[in-house]
Order: sequence, then C-alpha cells, then structure tokens
Amino acid sequence: MENLFITLFEKAMKNPLMNASGTLGYGKEITKLWSIKTLGAYVTKGLSIRPHHGNPPPRIWEEKEGMINSIGLQNIGIERFFSEYFPFFKRNRVPIIVNFFGFTEEEYVACARKIEPHPLIIGLEMNLSCPNIQKGGISFGKEAGSVYEIIKKVKAVTTIPVIAKLTPEVKNIIEVSRAAYEAGADGLTLINTMPALAVDAKTKRVSIQGGFSGPSLKPIALKAVYSVSKEVPLPIIGVGGIMDYTDAIAFLMAGATAVQVGTATFIDPYTIPRIIQGIKGYMKACKMTSITQITGCVHE
Amino acid sequence: MDDITGTVLENRKILTNIYTISITLQKPCGTIVPGQFVMLQIPRKEIFLRRPFSIYDYRNHVLFLMYKVVGKGTEALCTLRKGEGVKVLGPLGKGFRNNGRKNAILVAGGIGIAGIHLLAKSFNRQVPLLFGCENKKEIALLGNLAKDQNTYIATLDGTYGYTGTVVDLLKHHVISAPHKKVAVYACGPEAMYRALKEVMSPQRVSCQVLVEERMACGLGLCFGCVKKTTDEKEPYKRVCMEGPVFDLWKISL
Repeated sequence: MENLFITLFEKAMKNPLMNASGTLGYGKEITKLWSIKTLGAYVTKGLSIRPHHGNPPPRIWEEKEGMINSIGLQNIGIERFFSEYFPFFKRNRVPIIVNFFGFTEEEYVACARKIEPHPLIIGLEMNLSCPNIQKGGISFGKEAGSVYEIIKKVKAVTTIPVIAKLTPEVKNIIEVSRAAYEAGADGLTLINTMPALAVDAKTKRVSIQGGFSGPSLKPIALKAVYSVSKEVPLPIIGVGGIMDYTDAIAFLMAGATAVQVGTATFIDPYTIPRIIQGIKGYMKACKMTSITQITGCVHE
Repeated sequence: MDDITGTVLENRKILTNIYTISITLQKPCGTIVPGQFVMLQIPRKEIFLRRPFSIYDYRNHVLFLMYKVVGKGTEALCTLRKGEGVKVLGPLGKGFRNNGRKNAILVAGGIGIAGIHLLAKSFNRQVPLLFGCENKKEIALLGNLAKDQNTYIATLDGTYGYTGTVVDLLKHHVISAPHKKVAVYACGPEAMYRALKEVMSPQRVSCQVLVEERMACGLGLCFGCVKKTTDEKEPYKRVCMEGPVFDLWKISL
C-alpha cells in the first residue's frame, strides 16, 4: 500500500496535495465534483481583516501556455470565512492553511491576531506576493528587509506556524527566503504568479495587467524550490504550473514537502484527484512505500 | 453535473460568423435549467482555457450550442469537425427562475437567441418571443421559431418585421402598458439590457437577464468572471455561480 502521508509543522496530512490559494473558491464549490477530503489540506482564498471587493472585470486573460489574472483578492474577510466556511472543514476534518494579506503591516498583524489556533489549522500562509493590489502584498515581499520586518511582527502575535508565500520577482529569492527564516517563519510557499501584461493589437490598448500562471511557470518555480531548499532549512510548499503527477513529483524531488495546484484545476477540475492517483501509481511502479522517500532526492 | 466526454456530430455554419455545434455526450448530463451553460474544452493547441457557452438545446444525449465567432476560442471552435472528441463540463450556473408569472415575454438580441431558445422550448412556445437583429438574413438564427405565431421580429434595417430595436418592439407593440404580472426574460448585448432598464423602469417590470463574461473555471473557484451588482457589501458576483442569469434591477450597467 502506497503511503502518501506527510507531516507539516508536526501535523499529519494524508497526502502532499493542496490547492493554491484562490483557485478552489471557499472550498465548498468543488464538492459538486469531488470530496473535499481528497485534499491533504485546503488553502483558503486570500483573506483580509475586512471584506475586499477586488478588481473590476475583465479579470482573466488567456495566454498560449497559461493565463493572466487580475482578481484583486476579492474576499469575504476573515470573520465571515470562519463563521460561514470553517464549520464545513471541521465537519469533514480537513486540515486548512489560512492564506491572508493586508494593505499595511498593521493589517497583517491584525489578521494573524484574529485567527485562533485550532487542531485543523496547519499554518498561516502570508501572501507577500500578490501582483494585483496597489498597496500591500508584493510590496512587502520584494526586499529581504521588509520581509523580515513583517514576518517578525506577525510571529509575535500568533502561535500558529507562519508560512511566507513569496514572489519570484526578486533579485535573489534565497536571500528573501533566508530573511523569512531568520524572522521566524516556519515554512515557505514558492512561488506566486509572475507580474504580467497583455496588449490587444486590435484596440491598441493594454488588455490586462496581473499575475501570470500556468505550465510556463513550472520551470521557474521548480528552480526557486530547488535553490532555496538547498540553502534554507525550512519546509517548502512548491507551487507554479503543476499540471500532472510528474510535475508534482518533480517539485517533491526538488525539495518541496508539499505541493499546490492552481490553474490546472480550471482546465480540468479533476486535476488534484488525478495527481493523487498518478503519484500512487508511480510509487507502486517504483516499489516505494512512503512519498517522503523522494523528498529532495535530486540533491543527493 | 459532470465532466463528460463528447464527440462532435456536426458543426454547422448558419450565417457568415454564426455556427451551431452538436455534440453527442457519452453519458447523459444532469437536468438542465434554461439559461445554464457548459464549459467546453476546445481541442486545439492554441486554446488553453475552456470556454463557456449557453446550452441552446439538449435532446437524446446530444448537446447543441449556438455560437458567434468573436475571438480566438470561437475561431478555433469553428474548425472542429465531425468525430472530434471534446470535454463538456455542465450544466453550470443558475438558469432562469420561473417565478410563476403567467405573462412571460422572452426577448433575444442577435446571438442572444442561444441563451433563450431552451427557455422558449420549455414554455412550449406558448409565450411571446421577441427577436431583434440587424437584417432579414439573421432571422436564420431563429430556425423553426421564425415561423411560430408567437414570434415577433425586429430588424434594425427594416428588411423584415418591425423597424428598430427589439426593445422598441417590446415598448410599442407588446407591453405598451406593462402591468405587474409581466415577467421579461432576456438575452442579448449589454446595450439591450440598458435599453430594457430604461423602458421598464417606470413600472419596474420583473426581468431576468443572462450575463456574459470571460471565465476561467466556470465552477465558482477563481472569481474571474464577476459582474458588478447593486449589492454594496459584495458588489462583484460570480457570473458562473450566482449567475449567469441575474435580476436586471440588481446589476450595474
């Protein structure tokens, strides 16, 4: 029997598969197609201290091997998430990672303070990398110094493990990751979407500016996971362009403890359960007993 | 609702840039409410995301979609040939709600007939259907409905039926004195909805409209396809989830 169990911050997950924040709604939406219990952990849509309207449409732009989104972190706020949706995860005993963001340092701190520890909450994923908001998000994630400062402040107010979700658009991702580690972060999520733009030749105007995602992002994300895992002693959640089980395995081999799937779900909503089946098949073929046997194996 | 494999039965050109594609589904899709849509995977290399299409008709495991070629996705779609395999996710979204009003009036503008056809069928064609288009040629979009005695046609160039927009037709010929029991069901361009709003605002006639937006998932996962509404607390509603049919009086135009 193939064992997909992993532990993250001393909590057990039945498999290393998560959704990327903001690509599986509030969780209930996908249950029309598959059980939420399929996931190793559910990552919430990016939540803020107050509800946030997000950007006006168009929010979506298709590219050849991916897409640009400009959702702008529309969300119902932490309070409503916990009153309306958290009971659903409790009922199903599905671990969650709470992704959150702020427009100021104070708002990040207020978010972390508001989220009470619960056996099902594995960690708090700090979005330091969203390209779609004017203030906050990515502006904190660009420099090692600001990453250090903000994580330090968040760590001071919570006992829940803190995961820094970082942008690839930095001078040196190892330095920024190390700053997160030194500030006390418990883990890293690598990477967020890349800032991107589309131009319409017909209208001679910018069609959209936002975050680029999809399979083209995979090699970039994989390199970030590989490089950082060699240098920084923190568990890494790998994300970026994972389309199938071979992609997911590549991230694990490059040093990720767990992986997140985002854009692929839009194209095939069954991607996550298919990846889990695919990994099981791979392990069987390789006569592997535990998925942890391949974690970081390319470094050896 | 499920992701169903299908085979193209026919991809027929109706007008220069309008087609009807029929797809045989490997298994029956769930109960369809008129106004609902499917996310269609277009098996062409240059197409990354699926595309949403209103369900035009469905009978004996065959799904019919009527579409206008407007961009990259539909340009690729019209190259599909008989026998090609596709994936169809649906039915999705909230369709038209039958609110029990007896005097229903259906309004379709151009390719908007794609979103109204199934509703007309569900009313057994017992209610008036007002169709507006550019010219006589475009009446081809109505198919069999064109000959129906309950169908009223407006052309912008006056080559057939009433001369003017479908909303003018609605105003002058059918509900010149609209009363509370009338319910309008509409599908067409946004300009048509703005005109509907203007014409019906004195009486605030009950009206549901089918809204279109770029989509990524069609399942409510990504919040990419929103429409601005009058809800001040949460103005942006997902077209794929809370829509695609909205109350005309609750959307911002």
